[in-house]
Amino acid sequence: MTAAQWGGASAVFLASAVEWVEAFTIVLAVALAIGWRRAAGAAAAALTVIAVLIAITGAGIDAARADIERIRAAIGIFLLLFGLRWYVKAIRRFAGRTALHDEAKAFAETREDLERSESRAAWVIAFKGVLLEGLEVWLLVVALGHTLSYPAAAGSAAAALLVVIAVGFGLKAPLTRVPENTLKYAVACAILSFGTFWGLGGIVGERAAWPMGDGALLWLFAAYAGAGRAIAWAARVPSTRGSVEMEA
Amino acid sequence: MRKLLQLIFGDVRNVASVAAALLAAYGLSRVAPAAGGALLVLILIGAAALQAF
Repeated sequence: MTAAQWGGASAVFLASAVEWVEAFTIVLAVALAIGWRRAAGAAAAALTVIAVLIAITGAGIDAARADIERIRAAIGIFLLLFGLRWYVKAIRRFAGRTALHDEAKAFAETREDLERSESRAAWVIAFKGVLLEGLEVWLLVVALGHTLSYPAAAGSAAAALLVVIAVGFGLKAPLTRVPENTLKYAVACAILSFGTFWGLGGIVGERAAWPMGDGALLWLFAAYAGAGRAIAWAARVPSTRGSVEMEA
Repeated sequence: MRKLLQLIFGDVRNVASVAAALLAAYGLSRVAPAAGGALLVLILIGAAALQAF
């Protein structure tokens, strides 16, 4: 390969890695709620859909490029609806307004139904997240692929995916030591952040809505995480203060 | 099915909050594009605060 081709392959690798990190963040968040097996299954299903799309349409992706904003908006709104609900639930738990495990005391059957339904919804979130990011990688491969070759561009994107998966799995063990509601709260903040980013970005255009680009996700997460804890503190029930501190 | 939808999207307040936040952010984005995102975040945090109490 020439220096220019190495440069092109590196660009595809790095740009794909950014997209895969975003996808992995969503899978990671969902895995904490429904388990690694189901979350990985959702991710694999989304990657399969992308592979089938590529096999069918090849490099002729003008239609996908035109629709990506609409897809982004639809997924973003879905994440906002789901994320806001989880966010409020986690805040209420921190505040002591909803018991941490009240469902376990009674309504065992209802709880089982609820968990099963939430599990299904969480699976869909992981699937859609990976699908959207995968589509963006696909657009990237096709856009930059002509500077080197499509196999080289696709290989760089696949290598980036493997690196992100390897690094991500290293985080698995430390995360198991974090309290349950703190994890759920982090998941809600992450889902809301992506929902905000994609929802508005899909409606008014990503560059117009978020001049900072993907970096906006970091301040979105920080804003939701900080504000949520402040709301939980303001809404706390005095008698449960001990449990709130313990859980945090 | 109805129960599943409610579990995913929440109650009317949840759906109304997201719809109002997106509409307001979209409106502001037409005048000041970069400010729309901040407004969306603020409205959603406000909605969460109202629902949390």
